[in-house]
Amino acid sequence: MLSPAALQQIDREVAKYPPQRKESAVMSALRIAQTERGWLAPETIEFVANYLEMPPIAAFEVASFYNMYDLSPVGRYKLTVCTNLSCTLMGAESVAGHLKQKLGIGFNETTPDGKFTLKEGECMGACGDGPVALVNNVRMCGKLTPAEADRILAELE
Amino acid sequence: MIKRFKDIFVSLLLIELLKGMAITGRHMFSRKITVQFPEERTPMSPRFRGLHALRRYPNGEERCIACKLCEAVCPAMAITIESEQRDDGTRRTTRYDIDLTKCIFCGFCEESCPVDSIVETRIFDYHGEKRGDLYYTKDRLLAVGDREEAQIAMDREADAKYR
Amino acid sequence: MAQIEIDGKQVTVADGSTIIEAAEAAGVYIPRFCFHKKLSIAANCRMCLVEVEKAGKPLPACATPVIEGMKIFTHSEKAVQAQKSVMEFLLINHPLDCPICDQGGECQLQDLAVGYGGVSSRYQEEKRVVFNKDFGPLIAGDMTRCIQCTRCVRFGQEIAGQMEMGMAHRGEHSEITTFVGRAVASELSGNMIDLCPVGALTSKPFRYSARTWELTRRPAVAPHDGLGSNVALQVKQNRVYRVLPRDNDAVNECWLSDRDRFSYEGLYSEDRLNKPMIKEGGQWRECEWKDALEYAANSLNLIRQEVGAEQLGALASPSSTVEELYLLKKLMTGLGSGNVDHRLRHSDFSADAYRQGAPWLGRSVASLQELDRVLLIGSSLRSEQPLLAQRLRQAVKRGAHLNVVHVADDALLCRVAHKLIVAPDALAQALAQVVKALGERAAVDAEVQPLLAGIEVSETARSIAASLTTGENRSVLLGNVAQHHPRYALLHRLAQEAARLSGAAFGVLGEAANSVGAYLAGALPAPGGLNAGQMLATPRKAYILLGVELERDSYNGQQAMAAMQGAFVVALTAYKHRAHEFADVLLPIAAFAENAGTYVNTEGVAQSFRAAVAPRGEARPAWKVLRVLGNLFELDGFSQDNAEALTSEALGNTPLADKLGNALRPGMNLVLDKPDGGRLQRIGEVGIYQTDSLVRRAASLQKMSAAPRAWMHNSLLAQLGLSEDETVTVRQGDAAIQLSAACDDTLPAGCVRVAAGHEQTALLGGLFDEIRVEKSKGQQQTAEHTPS
Repeated sequence: MLSPAALQQIDREVAKYPPQRKESAVMSALRIAQTERGWLAPETIEFVANYLEMPPIAAFEVASFYNMYDLSPVGRYKLTVCTNLSCTLMGAESVAGHLKQKLGIGFNETTPDGKFTLKEGECMGACGDGPVALVNNVRMCGKLTPAEADRILAELE
Repeated sequence: MIKRFKDIFVSLLLIELLKGMAITGRHMFSRKITVQFPEERTPMSPRFRGLHALRRYPNGEERCIACKLCEAVCPAMAITIESEQRDDGTRRTTRYDIDLTKCIFCGFCEESCPVDSIVETRIFDYHGEKRGDLYYTKDRLLAVGDREEAQIAMDREADAKYR
Repeated sequence: MAQIEIDGKQVTVADGSTIIEAAEAAGVYIPRFCFHKKLSIAANCRMCLVEVEKAGKPLPACATPVIEGMKIFTHSEKAVQAQKSVMEFLLINHPLDCPICDQGGECQLQDLAVGYGGVSSRYQEEKRVVFNKDFGPLIAGDMTRCIQCTRCVRFGQEIAGQMEMGMAHRGEHSEITTFVGRAVASELSGNMIDLCPVGALTSKPFRYSARTWELTRRPAVAPHDGLGSNVALQVKQNRVYRVLPRDNDAVNECWLSDRDRFSYEGLYSEDRLNKPMIKEGGQWRECEWKDALEYAANSLNLIRQEVGAEQLGALASPSSTVEELYLLKKLMTGLGSGNVDHRLRHSDFSADAYRQGAPWLGRSVASLQELDRVLLIGSSLRSEQPLLAQRLRQAVKRGAHLNVVHVADDALLCRVAHKLIVAPDALAQALAQVVKALGERAAVDAEVQPLLAGIEVSETARSIAASLTTGENRSVLLGNVAQHHPRYALLHRLAQEAARLSGAAFGVLGEAANSVGAYLAGALPAPGGLNAGQMLATPRKAYILLGVELERDSYNGQQAMAAMQGAFVVALTAYKHRAHEFADVLLPIAAFAENAGTYVNTEGVAQSFRAAVAPRGEARPAWKVLRVLGNLFELDGFSQDNAEALTSEALGNTPLADKLGNALRPGMNLVLDKPDGGRLQRIGEVGIYQTDSLVRRAASLQKMSAAPRAWMHNSLLAQLGLSEDETVTVRQGDAAIQLSAACDDTLPAGCVRVAAGHEQTALLGGLFDEIRVEKSKGQQQTAEHTPS
């Protein structure tokens, strides 16, 4: 289900913990699996769980707890806009509204061409740069304005 | 001694009889209060506790959910309920019997019902002609409810503000 | 010890105990939902908040250890306010649908809401709704009612050994669920229903059928495994509505296996025999008890006079009570026949003459938890004794080494230290290896020594031996597969030697509810009498069957059915089953819950019970039927009025413990032959929900039971040119059945695993005998059988 490269990455994570505590690597393993498969399908979660010798439901608990894991398919670019207090005070709502209007989708929706998914995020720990957004869980964009958002979209296009 | 003469005097003059006749005479000309049942009926409270009925929702679905609170609360143990899961997954009775020969019309069943399903109607002039006629089954109770629904609804409405 | 004060009461409790435990000791009740004495502490319901002096905030009593001089107030204003606030939060999203909730009347939330809940809620917003999931045929889920106490999750992790439930999502969206809508498969799953403090998990077979306050509790003893779990039958209008565990730390603690919990459904099967029946001229007709009994007695008498009493045989189910088995034996003795046996699934009786007592567990059930080293031989423990498996799981969690010698590598849901998985005919060899390895440290008994010549000790066997010589409490346990094995006597002797060499207690796991009781009641062949195997191998002219469903309860169903052909058969049975085909008289007997009696569990403890409901139809308790038969034969000693009188007569006055014993007398003729590699062998252990006739008719449990398949190793599939899921013809003796082939790479080579006890596999041959598997030639027939 996962490529040898991904499994190798997981093995590296597993090696950080005692041998009988393989399940400690579940978060990293799920992240690696999601990066490779795009999202975490039940089969993917089960594969990871079996790989780490833990019950599938325990892996599902983790996968469903954190909102950076996607339990349904997402577009190629996932934009997660923080809407917590600091970012909202700095204008996150107008940025989010702009993105919604521009992409023609609401939160938790994907554009028909499968390119963009918009998500509402919780505090990303960078309030000083608010409003912030994450692209695909890895690239953080700070001090957003509608114009800045347009620039990022254009770049991703 | 004086008392004795007084008694004789009263007896001889039929005073008591005349007193009685006076009452009779007075009532003869006053307004009659006898009710000509069944042509005439006395006024009734909306809380009257007569024959039982099982009600339905306006869409025809029976209200009873087989919670068995009425069965549990009934001091005369007149109610028998059996329940099961109906095909659509809801909880329903398969049997709902009230033995009216046991019932003491205390109204606890109605009070305990969480869905206003079992109610006591204004009907009190019902009878049975053979054994078992006063053993009301679910079908008969539902039939009473269907027939009397307008009155039942009106009575609950009237009483609602005091509850 | 710590001296503390709870609500003004001075209490001394052990160091490290929690406030809730201390309060319990002081007789103070603290409300709780998530706390359970047998589960780990989660402290997530917050209902047990109490005030502690000098602590700023209320503390959860279940998770706060006591310290010297602590002053605790469980009913102070602050504590009660905290508890009431928690209750208000719990009720925010609770649907309050008590009138349609099966938990209503026995619901902890309902009870505590009376004490701590408000009259109305301040919450005006929309309540959350959780969509229901299907948890399988045993558990009904109404997850909106869930208060997230996670008892079910912790039960799965800690007791059942497999985590099937989990809490998905987060915060207000969190919900208890299985992995993508899977059914709960654990053999202990029903306990989650008991554990659930609200109506989120309820019993599916019981769903909406009765209210708790209508049900009367009647104590009884579970009839399926050797444990003899204490149960409470919940009865209404002469019908068992459900079965719940009774707390007994010496037996089942507060748990109950699903088999014991849901088997009551079998009582109301369509298949119940309600009236005595006689076959006349090939036609069955219902008749009166008197006619049936007289017909049976007269016919048996006639046969006895014509061909001799040794042509009579009696076969009894080991699930029969002590009283029934005792009377059966007495009846047969009275008739002059020694042919009585209850060990229908056994195939090797050669140890009979050397037995010194009734085989038993060798130690108390409760002490299994304290074991440090275990050797489990020939046992699919999870299906044989689900709750003993749970006990061992707790031992392993404590650090015990569990070593296994078995024919299949079934998950025991705990860490197995070492395992030897071998084909049935190599089981004795494997065990001999362990004995030989143990012999390297101590002298092997002269009787066993010759067997060990030429045995090569594998590394695993050596590890098992090494493991067995360490630790404090040790046990060697012999399971059902070993007991049914064609070389049982040898296995028994070797296991006994392994136990002796390692200083372990030697135990034989009781096969059925009354296996030990059957030995004690004497349901065994008298000297010179025939055992079950002989009775079926050399057909008798007449049989009395007590509670057995012969084709599914014996080692070789095919042979058993053949033996019945042409014989006069009196079947005392609760179910019609196949006795219709071969019996001549059917006598309806009371089933579980309808019968008073005694079971002696695998630990050797006699547990008596009374009838909870009247028998169905015209059925009568078997002991009464046997008593009347005894009277009809004009035998002495059949005048008992009640089961109690019989119990003391059957079990005698000496303590039962004196009559137990697993050690075999020396002098047995032992041969250890090399495994014959050439033929395919069947691994025919009895499925968990196929053990006896009651379970086999429990509809919901049958939905949990997988259809039998021909499981084999991948290499064997390839060798036979078969593919997985292909329909194959499985042959044993004259019988051929169609099964689908399945692949299980944990099975030893040269073995085909075909579960026994199923209707489909009933007519196959011996459980561990030769088997043939071939490609199906498009036959439509599912079973063909010609009596030999």
